[in-house]
Amino acid sequence: MTRPALKDVDPGQPRATFGQVWPQGGSHGLTLADAVRRCRWMALDINADAFALLLAPPAQERARLVPCLDSDHPGIGFSKTIDADTEHVVQHVRSSTEPLWWSKAGDCASDTAPGSLSWVTRISPLVEDKAGIAFPVHAERNQCGLMVFAGDGISLSQDMLYDIHGRCFSLFAAVSRIRSDNPGLKRAMTRRELECLKLTANGYTSEEIARLLRLSVHTTNQYLTQSAQKLNAVSRTQAVAKALRLGLIE
Amino acid sequence: MVSRSLTESSGRALSASRAFPAFCVPKNFARSSVNSMRFPLPWASCLRWTMDCGSKTPMNNLASDTKNRGPEHPPASRGELTGFLMNMTANTGADSYMLVAIVHGEARNQARIVASNWQFDAIELIGRQLIATLAQGPWTASPGTLPAALTVSSAPDTDALINGEEARLLHVLGHAEVYSLALNVGRQRLFILFSSAQAGSIDLSTLARAQIECCYALSRTPHLIAGTATEDPLSDRERECLFWVSEGKTTDEVAVILGVSSNTVNSYITHAIQKFSASNRAMAIATAIRSGII
Repeated sequence: MTRPALKDVDPGQPRATFGQVWPQGGSHGLTLADAVRRCRWMALDINADAFALLLAPPAQERARLVPCLDSDHPGIGFSKTIDADTEHVVQHVRSSTEPLWWSKAGDCASDTAPGSLSWVTRISPLVEDKAGIAFPVHAERNQCGLMVFAGDGISLSQDMLYDIHGRCFSLFAAVSRIRSDNPGLKRAMTRRELECLKLTANGYTSEEIARLLRLSVHTTNQYLTQSAQKLNAVSRTQAVAKALRLGLIE
Repeated sequence: MVSRSLTESSGRALSASRAFPAFCVPKNFARSSVNSMRFPLPWASCLRWTMDCGSKTPMNNLASDTKNRGPEHPPASRGELTGFLMNMTANTGADSYMLVAIVHGEARNQARIVASNWQFDAIELIGRQLIATLAQGPWTASPGTLPAALTVSSAPDTDALINGEEARLLHVLGHAEVYSLALNVGRQRLFILFSSAQAGSIDLSTLARAQIECCYALSRTPHLIAGTATEDPLSDRERECLFWVSEGKTTDEVAVILGVSSNTVNSYITHAIQKFSASNRAMAIATAIRSGII
């Protein structure tokens, strides 16, 4: 949901979220490469060899993690070695925030392994022949992902765990912003079209909207048809769904 | 926001000053630390944790000695959640906490308070609408972002989300500085408000750590926060139908996709509309998307 603008924020006072520190996609050219660089730093900090960001799709699709980026950027390499067909991991990502870890098959967890930390849950290995740790991450509009780090030398303290997880969160927020950022679309939709869409989402019919907005029914329908076209939707129901998912209306 | 009569009567009782206090912008953070590329988070290198690292939180004491606490670990009770939150509050230097879920009503968002040590009067006077505003304001920090304080001070301001009366109430009731942290518990989103009567007493780095730790703790106690986000009343089939309709499929197309008759599809959708007490398909779909079901 979009937050109300705080009109009186002093520009000299940084409202320091990453969304503002990181340039918004497009205009300032924040790319996936920047995100990959951030991942590399994180991997370096916990002494991991490889990393990958996987997306957990919305509920209706198959419970499968989809690679988004990994340490073999610009290609997808390491992600392919991850056992993505793991429904329990996807379920965990959707319902919990606790980090997951695994050790190499047959390896007893050493003291530096994540197993000695609080709040982490052990699972069966996601990557063969490598120990690893995975952080569930979530962003606006119900997007879920899993940030995976693998490497036999992974070591992190309890403080690092919180720190890294926080950085994973902000990274995922930025990545999902890159993926969903569509400033052109937002600009293309007029205020009236968005109003009509929003009222439709709240259950009003064209006639009711026409009365509420003091328009004719034809104009209302016209707005709804236009917005459906702009959103590349086939029906107004789909237009409402798309607008909600894109965050155009709340 | 707050019922006018309540605010006014209490406003008179609480303060004789006519100068309207208001909240001002988030506290000043060093921009250099924000812009530094590598460790933009101030707590990245900060070792000012007041708590022992490791298993000193009450939740962890409950967890047995085994290092391998799987999902089968029995979740803590309500009292233990309270203990955990009080511990977190003390560690961050805050006076009060409030764990809030936002319930999407038809007109406005309402706060549903899951746990809090605010005075009952404070909650009644301030009202759930304002609490929802506090929780979801522009100052709310997502995990991994720098927490920003909402400082209720005396800068006059008419245009803000919180008006003078409300700011004065907050101030008098001991919430001069309020931090709102968004908690991602799986796909559920909750908010925790940490507030203190004295501005500046909350430790930012501990706050950031507490935020992640609260996410973990609540992940482990799903039954305590269950029902805070909109529950999923739909059956699998109803959810599937709604999903395909939201993808722009017609009833006949959904019938083909699911391999059932179109009458069945219509009845599934009708049931879904009834369960959401929606007035039509579009509203049912909007409700489902807003609550993260599809």
